[in-house]
Amino acid sequence: MASGVTVADICKTTYEEIKKDKKHRYVIFYIRDEKQIDVEVIGKRDEEYEEFLAKLQGGGEGDCRYGLYDFEYMHQCQGTTESSKKQKLFLISWCPETAKVKKKMLYSSSFEALKKALVGVAKFIQANEIADASREVVEEKLRATDRQ
Amino acid sequence: MSGAIYGGDEVGALVLDIGHNTVRAGYGGEDSPKLDIPTSIGVWTDSQDDVGEPQYKYNIGLTAIHVKRSGMELTTFLKEGMVENWDMFENLTDYIYKNALGAVPCDHPVLITEPPWVTPPKREQMAELMFEKYKVPALYLGKNAALAAFANGRPTCLVVDSGATHTSAVPVHDGIVLTQAVVKSPVGGDYISAQCRNYLEEKNIDVIPPYMVSSKEITKPDEPASWKIKNCLPKVTDSWHNYMVKEVMQDFQASVLQVSDNLYDEEIVKSMPAIHYEFPNGFHKDFGVERFKIPEPLFNPTTSAKASIQPILGVGPLVTTSVGMCDIDIRPAMYGSVVVTGGNSNIQGFNERLNRDLAAKTPPSMRLKVISATGAVERKFGAWIGGSILSSLGSFQQLWISKQEYDEGGKAIVQAKCP
Repeated sequence: MASGVTVADICKTTYEEIKKDKKHRYVIFYIRDEKQIDVEVIGKRDEEYEEFLAKLQGGGEGDCRYGLYDFEYMHQCQGTTESSKKQKLFLISWCPETAKVKKKMLYSSSFEALKKALVGVAKFIQANEIADASREVVEEKLRATDRQ
Repeated sequence: MSGAIYGGDEVGALVLDIGHNTVRAGYGGEDSPKLDIPTSIGVWTDSQDDVGEPQYKYNIGLTAIHVKRSGMELTTFLKEGMVENWDMFENLTDYIYKNALGAVPCDHPVLITEPPWVTPPKREQMAELMFEKYKVPALYLGKNAALAAFANGRPTCLVVDSGATHTSAVPVHDGIVLTQAVVKSPVGGDYISAQCRNYLEEKNIDVIPPYMVSSKEITKPDEPASWKIKNCLPKVTDSWHNYMVKEVMQDFQASVLQVSDNLYDEEIVKSMPAIHYEFPNGFHKDFGVERFKIPEPLFNPTTSAKASIQPILGVGPLVTTSVGMCDIDIRPAMYGSVVVTGGNSNIQGFNERLNRDLAAKTPPSMRLKVISATGAVERKFGAWIGGSILSSLGSFQQLWISKQEYDEGGKAIVQAKCP
């Protein structure tokens, strides 16, 4: 079941700019007029994870958002002496428990459309409280698929 | 192709949520349903002759089913959440349109909820009825578990729905119900009502529904009631009387019962405060250990007393079995969002106990979280509220099955358009 909300082209182009050209660190998406998913904020390459979290909650405690982040961490494969830098994209849906039911319904039933539009995202995360979106939890989820 | 899309969002859609206890109906976009009427319907006939088919008459609605009429049976048209008696369902739909809402069917698109285990023939029959008989402009059939999941902001979660006739664990992934992993047990609010009645009968407490009482006097606790029976009561049927008793039991359930936090232990429970309850005939007493003992079979089936149905799985194992049938990759997400809904989950302590039972079973690598809507109303109407919002979204209008699409594609189109 889906809501029928569509994804604006700008979302895909901005996504490509992050994925291919590494021009930005993150993007925040929102649903405009209950009809289309659009870009709200684009984060600079040097911004911190905390700024991403703050922007994700930009709509206040009664609103929902989606976010895409280019996550970097060091990973050491077994049997190697040097660790290497890894970059992974994750897409997060932010629906706080305090959000209005209407917003929750709108954002959760439209997430599938965004997932399909952005091809090549490593991990999808469903966050309903800020702990679900913390750096540690996200990193653990991204690392779960790495080889030891 | 644009002609096939139903493009009118100026009139509110009608949202119909069919449950075993009540049917909820109202307009999309509103906060709560306009109607919450009993699913039980009074059936009677006044034809005297035995010639030909008897003409049945139906009493529908909260007031109408309470009418004392000799020979009126109270029955339901549902079986396992699906419509079984279509004639009665049609009468109910007529009642909703004409008497209750005063709406014209051809003006409003209709969204109807259905259980996760609904069969294709039932869905097709529903589409046929709505389009052919009521001439609705558009229809959508939505799985109640998915609607409840969305209303809680989680397209991926495990929905625990404890209703009147059954409790089910339904995995939902990206808004799609994983039907092969649905696990249900025939234990719900009605079962608890039956347990209450059994218990009271064992203790020789007569449950007299209010319709029989003409007057009562104040008595001391635990003393036999002193009350007068109403004169000239018509000879009502057993099914009607049982329903009236069940209503008293439902009130008793809501005010007295509580699920114990841990595995039921009489010694511990004894220290809990008792709750005072007065029956319609004036008899009143304190209820102590019974408060916890009666609902215990929900979570721990081995403690159940004599009953017509024996539960096999408690709610905790229901959830773990269902998760175990899901793909290994999505199991952490399921344990991470267990959404509790349904009227029976309003029983005190339901969530806390489920949380505790699951915490012991969840693999240590996974995080467990049990969530439920805060208000009792949200929990009772969870699926309806989800349907109401979904049908009112501007973008949803392209997802309806329009009359034109039905005419072109036939009734099999429901399978394609409503996953």
